[in-house]
Amino acid sequence: MNKRSFSDSIANRKVFQAIGYTLVFLMLACGVMTLDILIYRALPSWHSGIIAALLLFIVIDRFYTHRHFASLTPLSREWALALGTQWILILVVSRFLLSYAEGIDSLRSDLLLFTRGNLIELITPEYVFSLLLALLFWYLTGQFLDLLDESGLNQELALQEEQVPGGLIPVHQRLVSLIFSLGIGLVIVAALTRVTIHAAASTDRFPGVEVSRVSGGEAGALLYFVFGLALLSLSRLMSLQIHWNQLRIPVTSPNLARQWGIYSIAFLLILAAIVSLLPAGDSLGFFAVLRMLLGFLMAVLVFLGQIIISLLFLLLSIPMRLFGRITLPISTVPPRLPTVPLEPVSSAAGGIPWALIKSILLWGALVVIVVFSLIQFVRQHEGLLAALRKSRMVNWLITAWQWLSNAAVKTGGSLSHGIAAGWQSLVARLERRRLLSRAGWINLRGLDPRRRIYFFYLAMLRRGAEKGLIRKPSQTPSEYALILEKELPSALEDIDSVTGAFIEARYSRRDVNASAANAVRAAWGRIRQALQKLPGPAKSNKR
Amino acid sequence: MSGTFLPLLVVLLVIAAFMQGDFALTVIYLVVGALAAGMWWGRRALSQVQTKRQFPNHAFLGEQVKIHLRVQNKGWLPVPWLELRETLPVALVGPHGFQTVTNLGPRADTHFEYSVQARKRGYYPIGPLSVSTGDVLGLSDSLHVQTPSEALIVYPKIISLPSIEIPSHSPQGTLRHTLPLFEDPTRVFGKRGYTSGDSLRRIDWKSSASSGRLQVKLFEPSIALETCIILNLNADDYYYRTRIDSSELAIIIAASIANWIVEKKQMVGITVNGRDPILAGGKPQALTPRKGKPHLMRLLEVLARVETIDGSPLAPLLQRQRYQLAWGTTLIVITGTINQDGLDELHQARQSGQNPMLILASKDFADEAIRHRANIYGIPVYSITTERDLQIWTKESRRA
Repeated sequence: MNKRSFSDSIANRKVFQAIGYTLVFLMLACGVMTLDILIYRALPSWHSGIIAALLLFIVIDRFYTHRHFASLTPLSREWALALGTQWILILVVSRFLLSYAEGIDSLRSDLLLFTRGNLIELITPEYVFSLLLALLFWYLTGQFLDLLDESGLNQELALQEEQVPGGLIPVHQRLVSLIFSLGIGLVIVAALTRVTIHAAASTDRFPGVEVSRVSGGEAGALLYFVFGLALLSLSRLMSLQIHWNQLRIPVTSPNLARQWGIYSIAFLLILAAIVSLLPAGDSLGFFAVLRMLLGFLMAVLVFLGQIIISLLFLLLSIPMRLFGRITLPISTVPPRLPTVPLEPVSSAAGGIPWALIKSILLWGALVVIVVFSLIQFVRQHEGLLAALRKSRMVNWLITAWQWLSNAAVKTGGSLSHGIAAGWQSLVARLERRRLLSRAGWINLRGLDPRRRIYFFYLAMLRRGAEKGLIRKPSQTPSEYALILEKELPSALEDIDSVTGAFIEARYSRRDVNASAANAVRAAWGRIRQALQKLPGPAKSNKR
Repeated sequence: MSGTFLPLLVVLLVIAAFMQGDFALTVIYLVVGALAAGMWWGRRALSQVQTKRQFPNHAFLGEQVKIHLRVQNKGWLPVPWLELRETLPVALVGPHGFQTVTNLGPRADTHFEYSVQARKRGYYPIGPLSVSTGDVLGLSDSLHVQTPSEALIVYPKIISLPSIEIPSHSPQGTLRHTLPLFEDPTRVFGKRGYTSGDSLRRIDWKSSASSGRLQVKLFEPSIALETCIILNLNADDYYYRTRIDSSELAIIIAASIANWIVEKKQMVGITVNGRDPILAGGKPQALTPRKGKPHLMRLLEVLARVETIDGSPLAPLLQRQRYQLAWGTTLIVITGTINQDGLDELHQARQSGQNPMLILASKDFADEAIRHRANIYGIPVYSITTERDLQIWTKESRRA
């Protein structure tokens, strides 16, 4: 029973791993892009492109070596050796990449310094900053990969995690925390990318600070959250599968994982579409943002490829130069990263009414968000609610609110009654003066069940009259039903039930429920069909 | 999730305020939208899921009961995952109940079938069915709902009794009897020659005319067996070491005798001083003597549900029944043991024209003393401590 579930999760594991790693890479690429733009804006003399490439290289390297590191015992000799080797490589590669960014001559001189042992001279602020960022991304990538393993990529680890007694935070929650925590940092970085500090230029509010309208960092932050949500969806599925395996609950649906993917993509796309429609000032379009990220990634990957090719050329050119024969063409300038659109895609065109609507939507959405967040917060902190209820001030506010809401309901009720009465009297007057024709349709859904039964009975009278079966004013509903039954023997029971229901609805105080009205409707449908078959005015009426 | 959600929201709001809206607002929409939409989806999907269980709610011991579970999504919103966990009685299924995971598309339904084995008599709740679901992102907690349980009644074991001897003094019945006092004029079984003193009403004129000698009809004696079974499930009246087995045996005896009596087209009723789990007061319903299979099923239902009870002595129950039952009714008392008060009540019943009979369903050291006292009162006593004893008893009755 449980085998199927296990086999499914094992079959899906490779797909999950591929998707999970891709999403983590994209999220971190968004982070790299945002940081890159911040460095580019704040410190234009630094090689932000090289730093971005270095960080992405470290992320890829971490993916590649993660399995090996996971198999080693922490703090063991093998672990220390592997870690040391990796970091020595990172230190050397980052130094020479930064040197290479200055040009081939700079690289040569730095190599000379390195061979002579003048290592202190190689340590520059840019290098130290790059290493700190490298350490941060190395750590973050490891964190994401560890959490993915615990979520279900590593079955043994995930099952151990599942067996951990309550009290510890579940792995999915830890992933949510990590994504949101990193998101907070990224949002702050993205906000900083828009701030340019000048000595001369200044705004009225913040002297010396200029806020640009749009920067590419925002795209990174936005996409980071989109990919983060996709990763959460994957992690949720893996956690659930592990949970079901642990409890030996079989999964009977053969395509649960595939449909999960479809639902997740549809959910995120709908969410993205709604979000892009909501007013948020000078926003970039969703697809424009996506295009920007893909362009950035392509440029970085091309850059990395060029670096590798250049290194190969360099290695080949060194023995060539010794013989003084051929000099291979080596690019000394790293490729430029994609430029960020400085003008917003959507403008505030449409005039004042559109601006007003957008403003109302904006403030409405904000109010809804704040209220929703407060409700969630209070729900998750039940103690807070109890404490608030004890407060005299809060009690007073609640009483005042109740009084206000009651008064509003009463006022609203009397107002609507007044308006309805006024409208009816107006319509009646106009009808009397034949200025307004009676409305030719009635909204059945707007009627209560009792009135719906009236409606169907009156419809029966009207259709009957059209066929010559006119109800005399002296006839009771039962007497009229007898006449109708004579002409329509096939609908005898239906006529009885409609008439009975009408009598009960009209002359009793019993509650009439919707099912009774629906039954009358069905019966009336059959009577109508029977009436339609009657040829012309019936004879019985002429008697 | 609130641990990071609120700081994120605060940071975003501050940035939105300082940066005049823009991307921070978009991120707010995205995060809050994902949370709100996920919560809404989960709740909405769960409210649209309907489950329906179908199974025969009565079963005989040893039968396999198939339970069909239909899960239907009434709405247009798909249900990404649905965890179903049925709570089933351990006595029927063992440690593994029914549990599964599925997903439902818009307005889709799925069927499951599982079975339980009616291994032990009793009143068993099938369910409740716990249905869990949630959003695809896992930002909000999983949602659970429980559908109510339904009852399955497993009837007690019925041992087919070929013949047993149950005393009755009710005349004009349908069962044959050896005492000529209860000759039934509707049951002619032969003729003999007239002897002096024979009633003229018994002369068969047709056969007398054809044979040329006076012939007298011979009537088969018969009795009406109106029986009331009194099942004592007072826990103190069973030896504590074998209480569970002995009380179950007492129920099997009661069911088997009731079945035998109904098969003989006689009337049988039952009174139990145990506990009925489904009735408000816990007092089992007393069934007055009636005929027929439907009545037997009602009787078996009571026997399927009853459990032992503490502090409910037999004597007061016997006293109450004694006044209610008609003259000539057979009173079969099935108990573990009986004290002097109980025997006195049975003696009183005998004095007032009823036919008490005592069946001891528990091995007790006081058996001989009880048997001795019962013999003095003229009350037949049978000691049945195993199901095999019940078979032996029926054979002895047949021989007798």
